[in-house]
Amino acid sequence: MSSSDLSGKQRKIIHIDMDAFYASVEQRDFPELRGKPLVVGGSPEGRGGVVATASYEARKFGIHSAMSSKTAVRLCPEVIFVYPRFDVYKAVSRKLHEIFHRYTDIIEPLSLDEAYLDVTEDKLGIGSAIEIAGAIKKAIKEELKLTASAGVSVSKFVAKIASDLEKPDGLTFIGPSKIEAFMESLKVEKFYGVGKVTAARMKSMGIHTGADLKKFEKTELVRRFGKVGVFYYHIVRGVDDRPVQPFRETKSISVEDTYQQDLTDKQDMLVELMVLAKRLLERLEKHALKGKTLTLKFKFHDFTIITRSKSIDCAIDSLSLLESLTLMIVDKTDLTDKRVRLLGIGVSNFLQTDIPPTDSGQKTANTRKPGHGQDAQKNGTGNAGPIQLKLF
Amino acid sequence: MKFIVSSSTLLKQLQHIGGVISSNTILPILEDFLFEITDKKLSVVATDLETVMRVQISVESNEDGRFCVPAKILLDTLKALPDQPLTFSIESNYAIEITSDSGKYKIPGEDPENFPKDPSDEEGNAFKMRSDALLTAINKTLFAVSSDDLRPAMTGVYFELGLNEIQFVATDAHRLVKYRRTDVSPGETNNFIVPRKPLNVLKNVLPENEDLLDISYTNNHLFVSHENISLICRLIDARFPDYKVVIPTENPYVMTINKAAFASALRRVNVFANKSTNLVGLSISGSELQLKAQDIDYNFEGDERMECQYDGEPIQIGFNAKFLSEMLGAADSSEVKVELSTPAKAGLIKPTEQGSNEDLLLLMMPLIL
Repeated sequence: MSSSDLSGKQRKIIHIDMDAFYASVEQRDFPELRGKPLVVGGSPEGRGGVVATASYEARKFGIHSAMSSKTAVRLCPEVIFVYPRFDVYKAVSRKLHEIFHRYTDIIEPLSLDEAYLDVTEDKLGIGSAIEIAGAIKKAIKEELKLTASAGVSVSKFVAKIASDLEKPDGLTFIGPSKIEAFMESLKVEKFYGVGKVTAARMKSMGIHTGADLKKFEKTELVRRFGKVGVFYYHIVRGVDDRPVQPFRETKSISVEDTYQQDLTDKQDMLVELMVLAKRLLERLEKHALKGKTLTLKFKFHDFTIITRSKSIDCAIDSLSLLESLTLMIVDKTDLTDKRVRLLGIGVSNFLQTDIPPTDSGQKTANTRKPGHGQDAQKNGTGNAGPIQLKLF
Repeated sequence: MKFIVSSSTLLKQLQHIGGVISSNTILPILEDFLFEITDKKLSVVATDLETVMRVQISVESNEDGRFCVPAKILLDTLKALPDQPLTFSIESNYAIEITSDSGKYKIPGEDPENFPKDPSDEEGNAFKMRSDALLTAINKTLFAVSSDDLRPAMTGVYFELGLNEIQFVATDAHRLVKYRRTDVSPGETNNFIVPRKPLNVLKNVLPENEDLLDISYTNNHLFVSHENISLICRLIDARFPDYKVVIPTENPYVMTINKAAFASALRRVNVFANKSTNLVGLSISGSELQLKAQDIDYNFEGDERMECQYDGEPIQIGFNAKFLSEMLGAADSSEVKVELSTPAKAGLIKPTEQGSNEDLLLLMMPLIL
């Protein structure tokens, strides 16, 4: 009932995920790469090479995306590296969307090679979502010479998990009657929004599977996990009303940098973060967005990523505010003996802003400069100002 | 089910516990009061999942029952009514009808089964404490509690229990208050951190008299009850910083000063201080204290001199005047002792006289230029 739209009709959602997308495109275009362990990503020579996508042949050796290229070579010395050709992938992605549009216009892209489709009312009047998913897969194979996996269900969450079940070239349907049982057997790591930290917290509470999660009352989940607890509560019961959103508004703006040399000193990290903060502020101003949550991202030498956030009650719209929040977060983050290879900084939780009419757009451009100047000044005196000593 | 209750009694009790309800809740049921009638006793519960407050009121009723009612609309109704008996009738679908002398008011209620359950009763350690003693302890410490959620341990008051005393400690890393009561016997050593919100609620509810409160605690919860009111709150699950090591044992320079005069001088001079730092410089030498503040951006300057007793080398030290005034407010004596060592080390403030059952220590980190 809950997965139905206003008219009470059950929705039909397809999640399409291309199989080893970048690597498959390379193998398609260069026959000599077919059947070989292939990595699209940075070269293992020098530092900083990372696996973007590994072909299925490479995955057999345990190579996976986000792994360092050096590790990939260690796992499989004969692995072939190619640099990504993003222009080509984008072109393929456009064609992929042309195929989607034959059946529906309600498409929510998640990345170049992944999208949700709402086919409750498909354009061709086919009616069966399974049939449509099959037709899309067939078109992808014939026209793009690539394979995709599809998941079909009544909600986004279940469809996405379904598409992952029989990769590659799979088509999995999870009907409404099977959802609850399926969710109960699902490991918590598979749940949307559950990362390593939340998974560890859940496990410490004895929650390993959906069935364990289901035992908790809504109030308890809210208390432990905050707002997202409500989401967990519903999702484990197969309730996911999130619509497929063709136009997603910007939820966050961020900038990041990968460093040639790992940063080990907190001061160095702060300096880099300040540089990023300036770039972030420019981007925020360009998009006329003001957010209340600042998030820092740290990627360590071992490729583990942590993010730490801090929210305040007003807009983070000045460099001095960005800086002091950054300081607060860094202060609370355990960075001892950590080697940081990537730093990111982003703002989310945007305020509802009135978009200025075009003529006042110029005004904002004019006022921006003195605004900047003030920030810089504030900084100047801020640094030279008195220091409140701390006890702890 | 029907019951009759005095509108003013109900309003007074609901206002006591209504402070627990937060306006921005994720779960709509938390914006409700839970009403439970058993044996002509009405108990009303409000919770935000962290704190549970319960009051009991005698009512006229012929039946037992339970239901939830949206807090805001009920409070608004009661506030707008003159004192009179009100009749509540509740249907099986939890529709509520209130009948007054002037008319009828309908509110849709909620299923009481959706209301969060109280934390289960674990066996706790119990002791009794005078209501005014706890009230004083809250008043003297709560203001120094940190609001930095990144350091949860400091967002509450630390209760350090001894056999025959309790030490209440609060800090925001810039200042620290330690208040000890020796007229209470917890019977064992233990400690826990009580969050700000339930203490604020208690502050408004506890009577300032010698009534004894029943207090008990488990690993996760604190229970406080007095006559018809009871509170359960979740304790902060974090380790309080080792505050003892930061309290200087030897601050050789001692200034004794009239508290009220010092506080009002600070308040005046602070008007001229930079608004973001509230920096006021103190220069002490001989028997004179000079207070100075300036805001360079606006060319504001304030300068006062006052008499004091001082035993030590001349010293210049800066403090956040707002913090310092708040600290002085926690001392009850007419004079205080300010103990200093260097301009970069913690200063101590102690009342010159205090009750035999209590001991207050205030610590303040300086601002350095």
